[in-house]
Amino acid sequence: MNDIQTRVSQCFANVFPGVAPADLPSASAESLARWDSVAHVTLLAAIGEEFSLDISPDDFDELTSYKLILDYVENHAN
Amino acid sequence: MTLNEALRLINSSRENRAKEAPVVLLCGFQPLHLDTFLQAHAVERLAGERIQVAAGLYGDLRGNIKRAVQANATTAALVLEWDDLDPRLGLRSSGGWTSAVRSDIESTCQDALRDLLELIGQLATKALVAIAGPSLPLVPLGHTAGLQATAFELGLQQQVAAFLQEVSAISGVRVLDPLWLARASPMASRLDTKMWLLAGFPYSAKHADILAGGIIDLLYPASPKKGLIVDLDDTLWSGIIGEVGVEGVSWGLEQHTQVHALLQQMLSLLAENGVLLAIASKNELATVERGLARPDVLVSREAFFPVLASWGPKSAAVEQIIRTWNVNADSVVFVDDNPMELSEVQTAHPAITTLQFLPKDPAAVWDVLSRLRNLFGKPTVLAEDRLRTASLRSGAEYQRASAVASGGFLPTLGGRVVIDYHKDPQDKRPLELINKTNQFNLNGIRVAEGDWLARLQSDDTVTATISYEDKFGALGKIAALFGVRQGQEIRITSWVMSCRAFSRKIEHHTLESLLRTRGAARLRFDYCATERNQPLQQFFAEIGIDASSPSISREEFSIAPQDLPHQVSETPQ
Repeated sequence: MNDIQTRVSQCFANVFPGVAPADLPSASAESLARWDSVAHVTLLAAIGEEFSLDISPDDFDELTSYKLILDYVENHAN
Repeated sequence: MTLNEALRLINSSRENRAKEAPVVLLCGFQPLHLDTFLQAHAVERLAGERIQVAAGLYGDLRGNIKRAVQANATTAALVLEWDDLDPRLGLRSSGGWTSAVRSDIESTCQDALRDLLELIGQLATKALVAIAGPSLPLVPLGHTAGLQATAFELGLQQQVAAFLQEVSAISGVRVLDPLWLARASPMASRLDTKMWLLAGFPYSAKHADILAGGIIDLLYPASPKKGLIVDLDDTLWSGIIGEVGVEGVSWGLEQHTQVHALLQQMLSLLAENGVLLAIASKNELATVERGLARPDVLVSREAFFPVLASWGPKSAAVEQIIRTWNVNADSVVFVDDNPMELSEVQTAHPAITTLQFLPKDPAAVWDVLSRLRNLFGKPTVLAEDRLRTASLRSGAEYQRASAVASGGFLPTLGGRVVIDYHKDPQDKRPLELINKTNQFNLNGIRVAEGDWLARLQSDDTVTATISYEDKFGALGKIAALFGVRQGQEIRITSWVMSCRAFSRKIEHHTLESLLRTRGAARLRFDYCATERNQPLQQFFAEIGIDASSPSISREEFSIAPQDLPHQVSETPQ
């Protein structure tokens, strides 16, 4: 697991503390009942804070899974 | 703290649903990160315990307050924003900002604030309420450039300031100081426009963090320090009095020693608010007394008790003062200009708070004054606070008199005990006693103000607030007892008495009165031994209460009123 992936996983663990680390890479808004609108905003705010990213409103709606978020961070983080 | 740190802190805290204190968050926006930061700051403040934050409906602040009143909320955090007063003052409205709507906005705000004042008054009869006024910039609806205020904007700010002034006077309401917030969270970094438009949450994470920290400190304030020991030379005044003489020391603008006048004024204020003051000085006592007797000293000589001057180590003087006050070192602050004296005292009393007074550094003096306010600040100043130094002084006279008297000393005091059984939510003294008394304390359990207000609502609750006075002076309200009526019994859940009232048999009078007047066949105690409640333990042993099953019946309590030393009256009879 690279550094970015570790930090993304940590943000996920902060927002979804009950999810086992092994299950995080497959997590999505569809698969996790606790991934509601409040958790979504909190998660993306936590990701934005961790990587100093200003996630645009359009991207907010698209980033609905661990994989999509990881790809986004890898493409946008310095 | 950051949002991720806050989340980690909450996740690492002790999860114990039964113990989680419920806090209602009253706001009109989505609570989002404010909820998170409130929980995280509560974990920090409450040593790992959690609070349970319940938020209301989006956009319905007034409805949320009404529901909190109906639900008998005990602790509430109310965070007001401009768009709660009129949606046109927010970013999610399209109602217009032109001059045509301004007078309507003004009157809508006036109506909203009037409603809020009434609702908060209702809520505060049941709950402790912390309030933060609007902290975001106003939307750009003025006709001027941003640096020039308009009468309209100033009018809105004036309305809010008047509203906050009114609610701050309501018992049980604590208002977050807008000037404190301005220092802690600059206006330019408070707003998160994207998050407001996207998710209905208007604050930057940084601002939400600071706001939440302030609110938690209002709801769960740290225990204020009780006493301040101050040095004289180059601290209370400028100059070495033993060298320059009584007239040579100074505190004034002309002599460029005004910082000492500021400290004296601060001490005078602290004394008025019930803080114990004492002097520890390396000097001759007679010289010190002449200095303190100068008519232009800005703090009265009577405010200091005791005044110790000697050539011995300061730590010994501090030890003697702490014993005279009968307080713990962790509730004492020591102020001196000399770093060596501070270090010597700190080494001997690690729990004491030491502050260096640097008279040549006015900015550092300002910091000391601000720290003193924070260390000794309390939400309410009670009548008993103002009696404290006088009763300590009379207590010392009492100890001297009792030491020379042979048996039968107490009946000679002309003591009067008043036991007040009224349940008065406005009287914060019983709660203050319960939350700061350690020695004569049934179990050491502290009670949150919201819980206390809720308990007063119950018909089964029995409360007693005990006052005492004798020929040496009034001690004021010095003991409090909380209980619950359970059939023929009263279960005592809290019982405390100030150490100033020890050795007067007031505790005997209290139990006698309870058993005689409250219709209880038996008193049962929620007793727990603590590190510091030996006086309570000794009292139980003295009257034959078994600590393993602590209770006493009317028959077992063998002391008749005529066997006790003081005159007692109860209200209501």
